Formats: sequence, structure tokens, C-alpha cells
Amino acid sequence: MLETILQLAINGLTLGGIYALIAIGLTLIFGVVRIINFAQGEFLMIGMFATFWIFSLLKIDPYIALFIFTPLLFLLGMGTERLIIKPILNAPPIAQIFSTFGLSIVLQNGALMFWKSDYRSLETAYSNAVINWAGLMINVPRLVAFLVAVGIVILLYLFLQKTYLGKAMNAVAQDRDAAQLMGVDINKIYMVAFGVGIGLEGLAGALIMPIYATYPTVGFTFGLIAFVVVVLGGLGNMIGAFLGGLIIGLVESFSGFYISPELNTAIYFLIFVLVLIIRPSGLMGIVGAEEMGLK
Amino acid sequence: MKKGNGAGLRWGVLLVLAGILLVYPLVERNAFYIHLLVMIFFYIFLGLGWNVVGGFAGQLSLGHTVFYGIGAYTSTLLFINLGVSPWLGMFVGGILATLTSVVIGVPCFRLHGPFFAMSTLALGEVFRILATYWRDLTQGAMGISIPVKFGWRNFIFEEKAVYYYVILAFTVVALGVSYWIHRSRFGSNLVALREDEEAAESLGINVPRNKLWAIMISAFLTALGGTFSAQYVLFIDPDAEFSVGLSLLMAILPILGGVGTVWGPVIGAAVLVPLQEGLRAWLGSSLHGLHLFIYGGLLILVVTFLPRGILEWIQAWGRKAIPSLFPTPLLEKPAVPRSNHFMAWSWLTPKGTGDGTLMEVKDLHKNFGGLAAIRQVSFQIQRGEILGLIGPNGAGKTTLFNVISGFYRPDGGKVIYHGEMISSLHSAYLICRRGMGRTFQLVKPFPSISVLENVMTGAFLRAKAHAAAQEDGLEILELVGLYGIRNTLGKSLTISDRKRLELARALATRPDLLLLDEIMAGLNPKETAEAINLIRKIRDHGITILIIEHVMQAVMSLSDRIVILHHGEKIGEGTPREVAADEKVIKAYLGEEYVLT
Repeated sequence: MLETILQLAINGLTLGGIYALIAIGLTLIFGVVRIINFAQGEFLMIGMFATFWIFSLLKIDPYIALFIFTPLLFLLGMGTERLIIKPILNAPPIAQIFSTFGLSIVLQNGALMFWKSDYRSLETAYSNAVINWAGLMINVPRLVAFLVAVGIVILLYLFLQKTYLGKAMNAVAQDRDAAQLMGVDINKIYMVAFGVGIGLEGLAGALIMPIYATYPTVGFTFGLIAFVVVVLGGLGNMIGAFLGGLIIGLVESFSGFYISPELNTAIYFLIFVLVLIIRPSGLMGIVGAEEMGLK
Repeated sequence: MKKGNGAGLRWGVLLVLAGILLVYPLVERNAFYIHLLVMIFFYIFLGLGWNVVGGFAGQLSLGHTVFYGIGAYTSTLLFINLGVSPWLGMFVGGILATLTSVVIGVPCFRLHGPFFAMSTLALGEVFRILATYWRDLTQGAMGISIPVKFGWRNFIFEEKAVYYYVILAFTVVALGVSYWIHRSRFGSNLVALREDEEAAESLGINVPRNKLWAIMISAFLTALGGTFSAQYVLFIDPDAEFSVGLSLLMAILPILGGVGTVWGPVIGAAVLVPLQEGLRAWLGSSLHGLHLFIYGGLLILVVTFLPRGILEWIQAWGRKAIPSLFPTPLLEKPAVPRSNHFMAWSWLTPKGTGDGTLMEVKDLHKNFGGLAAIRQVSFQIQRGEILGLIGPNGAGKTTLFNVISGFYRPDGGKVIYHGEMISSLHSAYLICRRGMGRTFQLVKPFPSISVLENVMTGAFLRAKAHAAAQEDGLEILELVGLYGIRNTLGKSLTISDRKRLELARALATRPDLLLLDEIMAGLNPKETAEAINLIRKIRDHGITILIIEHVMQAVMSLSDRIVILHHGEKIGEGTPREVAADEKVIKAYLGEEYVLT
């Protein structure tokens, strides 16, 4: 009994690390650019497909591929910001929502046209490797993803606190007008923040490819989870996203075992709607909640 | 006379179109074209349904398949299991969807913009998963095939043309509903709350209730669409009924055509559906996803570059090319142009001055956390008076306004208005309905509707019909001097005109007391003089005025009496002369060198 619970907790936490990894980019973009990027999951999908193809065509290991695709998606993100996000930065909500939603549809169906709707997965030597720790099983790629998520949170924290660019980003997140008056080039900040947020999806895509299959709508599934995580933790809040990820991971692990894995998604979407309604600022509060009408 | 001809032409065109639509399936032998028309009207119908809550009310739902799916599953399950005719099941589904929309709307309408959209998107997914999971009822992912038994009772027809007439009738009903909303007080309320919820409340609009009505109507219509589709395709499954793509499409059509307009969804579907069906017929399934790829791209382009949709283009072109078919709203002066309009105001009878207390503020108190923004403030305002409220920045003037007008709850004390304790109503819209109008320090004119429509949102509080609201609106615009720009959009006004517009809108609710919050800030001397005259004119017709103002010259010359706030406390009260002479007041606020001239 206790063993089951511990095993479920470990499964949940490692799963949660993956969710956190995917959600951090979303929360960063929201915090700085104040845009809810409905296409976030699609960039993860691109990262996953890219990792899949480079592995099956060139036999490049996902853990090496991530050093290629993280920067590539960073660039892709910056380009996307220039082309699609910048024109709607001051537009009414309808434009902001449907522009990124439109992008998500474009990417999803572009993938469908290019790569068909097949599920594609890759088999590495370590895909199913487990560490047996006092009778508890820990899947190695999941553990790696979890540790990277922890590392990313720490790195981003240091980046935001210690570097000029990071501080400027922080300033823009708190008050874009004031930051601009202090000489921060907010357009550059938006572009970089969006790039980092998308680059993180490249990293996440490579890291989860050993364990998950990819398909054109994989981004929709993970993207919605990322929303749940981010809302739960408090939009724009890095630590909140990490905690939110762990909570959703645990919920999924336990409800999958005790209720039914089929209902997992329904359960955390209900949690999501409940959190939005009861405590819209999430566990850790929201950056700029008043501006978004959430307080 | 000229106007009559234009209307005749419009009716003529409409009748010819209707005639063509009615006769066409009788002469068309190619089933594909009939199918195409069925699809076009089906999507017009869905778009019109979404548009009620997504367009008019601006609540951007991405989960309308919840209602659609409920409609499809309810009528189908009733038909298959109990033999209930889908015609009846359709209404059962509609009612179920309406009830569901209330359950969803009550909590989710507390969320705004993208958060509302996200929550509806998630709920759509929840319903899809539930429909897949609940196999005993829905047969899960296998879906349900409706046995093909032709007949009117079964809502199953061999001839596609019959489906065509059915969906045509549905669409006409939905268009009627949209047109009614567009012209009614309800529609005006929806537009107001879409543009700015706080301002809408200050105009006496019950925001939550109006949103709920909107989603209920929308859900009902959408559910009917679900039943129709089930009967047309004769197969339903969770992925089709609760598909995100469909939710999206329901939103795209009105956005492409012109969101929040009657004809927008029609145009959107007329453009997009032939494209979709054409591509599907041309490419077959060889390039799966292409049509959605195109939708997505189109959506980005439209919301970025053409946020008001294709309809605006068509109208702009039509007004130049065929002006009689596309009338410019209110090009001519209204039927009875009167000089000195204000005097002839039918509803504004002079109420005399100085006959008793209109409002009493007693020991009013308001805290923000540990900070007391207003401390035990008491004062009275007499009928027909202009009472100035002054004090340094941060003295609590606007907070006091917000408490009086019901936007903040007081932490102590009371406000008695017309002999009624309004501070226990805790509701801005109810206070407005009792005859109190207000403006906002940071002006909130509704940006994407015209000046006249702005004022009409206020006038609809008292006016029952569109014509009456319009007449009130025009009169008030003439009074405040905005008549000439009545068709300009709210967002393209100068600051001076915005302030006047806000005053006009508040005035249109026919208040007995008008709260004006820094209506002259940022105006040049000429505009200030005009504003002073206007406020006097309004008072002369019996409207009592409480005014916050920093322009000293204005407040001194306007006010009968002045109340001074400092650090949330009332530190003085009296006529302008008395106040200006009061040493405490001078020290706190006016500055040593101020001399009354």
C-alpha cells in the first residue's frame, strides 16, 4: 500500500517535471509579453518532430539534438514574435486570442500535411531504463527531464536576477511603461522573451522524445496541460509553474491509478476551471493580475 | 422621399434573393451544389449562434461544441432509445444546452478575455472526454449511427433539398434573432458590456444577467445546429461533435465576416464554406489538413489587419458605389430639427431648485487594507445644487464617488438618496437605475461603436425602443455639441470630445443627480469655458450636480457650495467665498498665494 503510494508519487513528480518544463516557456512569455500564446504547444510539437527526424535520419541522439534545437527554436520564436505577435501587442483581446490560436491551427495542420497523422516514436537504449531505488522504479529519461526542469528554473531565476537583460525583462514584466521610460528597449525584450519561451519548447521537445510519441496534435494535448499548470501556479510565475507542474503530475498519477486514466484530462481540466474561478491568481499570484482583470 | 426609395430598393433586393434561394434547389439537379448550400446555411446558422455571445457580448467562447454536442447527443439518444422524434428531441437538447450554459456561464463569466476563452476551450475538451468515456450512454468513440428511416417524423430525408429548406428556415430564425438583438435594448446592453463592463454598469446595465441571457440564447441555437447536423450526417461521435476545429470555425466565420454584426456570420460563411468544400472536393483526402491550415492563416491575417471583418469593406465600397442600397446611418438631420433643442426636451422637465435634500452622505468610511481612504465623511446635497468636491490628489475624492455610485462597498456609514438607503444595494447598476449618473476620471467611452451608439447605450435605460433611444441620443448629442460627429467611432475622439461623450452618455440615463469626475482636466481654456456653460445648462433644467474638479477657476465659478476633502476627511464646507477664505482649506490645498478674484 505504502509502496504503491510512494511509487505513484514518484511517477507523478517525474511526470510533473516534464509538465513544468513545457509550461515554463508559456509562463515566461505571458509574464513579459502579456500574451497568452495559444500556439505554445505547437512549438513543442515542432521540437519533438525535429528531434524525431534528426534521430531517424542522422542517428543523432535526442540529448545531443537538444543543443541544436533549443537555439533553433529560440530563433524561430524571435521571428514569430516579429511577424505575428508584434502587430497585435496593443490590439483588443479578440485579435490577441485568435491570432495565436490561428497560428496553432496553422502549425498543427502544416504538420499534418507534411508528416501525416501517424504516431512516431523513437527507441533509444535508455528509453526504458529504470533506476531501482529500494524497490521503487524511476524511469531514467523522466528523471533527466525532471532534473533539467529544476535546472532551468534555477538558471532562469539567476538570469532574471543577475543579468542586465534579465533585469530588464523583469522590469518590463512589472511595468512596461516605466521600463520603457528607463530606457529599456521593450521591443527587443519582447522578442528575446518570446524567443526564450519558444526555445524552451525545443529543449522540452528533445527531452521528452525518448518517452513520448509525436503526432501533429501532440502540441494541443501538452499545450492545454501547460495552460492548466501555468494557471494553477499563477500566470507569469516561474516557481509557480514548477509547483503547478508537480501538482498536475501528482494528480494525473493518482487519479489514473485510483479513478481511470481515461478521465485524467477531464479531471485536470476541471481543476483548471475551478482554479480559474476560485483563485484566478493561482498558487503564487499573478504578475500584473490587475492589468489582466484577474484581481 | 429619397429615403423611402432606398428602403424600397433594399427590400426589393432582399425579396429577389429570397426568391432565388427558395426556387434554386427545384431547378438544380447537381446534388453537390445543394449539399454546398446546405453547408453554407448550416455554418451561417452556427456562426449566428456563436455571434450572440461571442460577437455582440464579446465573450470569446472556444467551447461552443459543448452546446452543439449536447444538442446532437440529446436528440439522437432520445430518437434511438425512446423513439422520440428528433423535432422534439431538438428542443429538449436546446433546453439542456441552455441549462448547461447557465452552469458554465455563472462561474466562467467572472473571467475575462483570454481566460474566459481558455476555460471554455478546456470545458469543450472535458465534454469530449466524458462523451468518449461514458460508453453505456454514448457508445464511446465508436459513435452512434442513426438508422436510415426516411420520413418527416424522423427528420431524415431522401432529398437533400428538404434539408436545405429546413436549414434555410433555421437560418432565417437566427437572422431574425440577431436583427432583434441588434436593434434592442438587450443588444445595446451586450455591446456596452463588451466594450467596458464598468462603464456598462454605470449606465444601469446588469452585466452578469445580460451575459447569461446572451450565452443562453447562443447555446440554444447552437444545440439546434447539433441536432440538424446529426440528422444530416446520420452519424455522431465524440471527436466530431466536440471537435476543437468546429469550435474554432464557429468563431472564425463571424470574425471573418464582421464580429458582432447581423450580417457578419453570413458573409464569413459564404466566403469560407465554399472554399472549404471546394478544396475538399478538389483534393479529396489527399492533403488532409489543408483547409484548416488556410483557416488558421486567414484568421491571423483577418484579426491583425481587418479586425472588423469583410463586411466593413463591403459597406465602405457599397456606400460609394450604390448608396441607395447601403445607406450611411443617419446621414440626414433627424426629422424635426429644432433650435434650442435642450429646452424642448420632452423628458427633462425643470424640477426647480432648492426644495429639499436629494442625497445625504452620513459618516461614510472606506478602507483599503490598513489605509483609510475615506474617514467619516458626511455632507448633504440639495436638489438643483451644484456641489463642488475638491481636495489635493489622493484626498479620496474619486473613492468617495466610487462608494456613492456603488462601485465600492462602504466599510461604514450610509448614503441616502431620494430617501432610500442606496449604500446597502451594493450595486452600481441599481443605483444608476434610481437616477444617478456618473462619469469616470479616466474616460471610458466605448471605443468601437459610434458616438451616437455610445449615447444610446445610456438612453436605452429609459427608452424601450430603438427609435426612442435614438431620438434621445440625438437630442443629447446636440445639447453637448457632438451632433456633428455622431457617426465617428468612440476611439477616434479627442480628449475633450471623449469627456463630452461620457457626460452625454451619463445624461442619457436621465439622472436626477450627476457625478462628474474631473470632466475639465486636460481641456484648453476655450473648451473649459464651454464645459462650464454646459454644466450650468444641465443644472438649469433641474439636474443636481456633484463635481470633482481641479480647475479652480471652474469649480469656484460653478459651485453653489464646495466640500473639501483632505486625507480622506472633510475639512471644510461652504460657499466658494467662504471656502476660499478658510485658512485651513488654503493651507491644505489652495496654497498660500491663492486669491479669490
